[in-house]
Amino acid sequence: MIEFVEECRREWRRLRVPEPVANEMAADLEADLSEAAAEGVSAEEVLGSSAFDPRSFAARWAAERGVLPQASAPLDRAALRLVARAASWRWLLLAALVGSGLVALLGAALVAFRHGAGRMFVPAFGPHASEPARFWIAQAFGGPQSAPDAKVGVFLLALGLGGLAVSMLLCTPWMTAALASRGAARAPGGRSCR
Amino acid sequence: MRRMAASERRRSELLRGVLDLCLLAVMEDGPAYGYEMTKRLRARGLSIVGEGSIYPLLGRLERDGLVKTYRAASEGGPPRKYYRASSAGRRVLAAGLSEWRAARDAIDSVLAPVEAEVVP
Repeated sequence: MIEFVEECRREWRRLRVPEPVANEMAADLEADLSEAAAEGVSAEEVLGSSAFDPRSFAARWAAERGVLPQASAPLDRAALRLVARAASWRWLLLAALVGSGLVALLGAALVAFRHGAGRMFVPAFGPHASEPARFWIAQAFGGPQSAPDAKVGVFLLALGLGGLAVSMLLCTPWMTAALASRGAARAPGGRSCR
Repeated sequence: MRRMAASERRRSELLRGVLDLCLLAVMEDGPAYGYEMTKRLRARGLSIVGEGSIYPLLGRLERDGLVKTYRAASEGGPPRKYYRASSAGRRVLAAGLSEWRAARDAIDSVLAPVEAEVVP
């Protein structure tokens, strides 16, 4: 009986049950088992099958009493929820869509600058305001000699467009389902979205 | 052997649904500590040998606010934790009693026409 109570204490210590609570539970358990033993009642008659598994008994009692420390701090749980949400495939697809779009834009810009097709309106301020537009364009893009290689631009553009196409393809079932559910909500007899 | 295990399993599952009501019911006789409740149950014909211990269940009742507890010296013994039903616990007991009686009567009507002999 003493060994049983000691095993329970060890388990509560391992589970980081607050010491005053563990002491209280151990004291009550020991007193009850002692009284039962004095009346010729076995520990099994008091504890049932738990008499053979002190660690499970102690863990279950502490859990049911609600005295086990929280698994993680509230901030950690919020972070975990955020990561879980971010990891959901819909968010990943959206991120892929946006990323592909940005890559395609970057590639297009590089290609445009290389071939001189990009034009940027440069406000004519400052000491060179009277210079012709060609001067300003050259100033803005640094001239054809210093422009980045068009191959890189083409590659990025192709990569971005490809990513956009795949993302759109994967998004389609989800968007179709979302539109369908909205349509059902607006149909006669359905709930209004408002 | 297998039949005994199945029978014990059924009994265990039946008890699991109502043991909290049984504990609240014996508390109506007056506040009691853990082992004292076991004795009261046995005196009323319910032996929980083989079932889980009542201590985790008492812990849950306390956590859910269905019982109030206090420490006091027991008769000729060390201080013990006494349990008594709270007002919420008494409401749960009343509701649980009517649910139990309704379920018991319904099952009795289903099983009543069956004439079966227990073969040892």
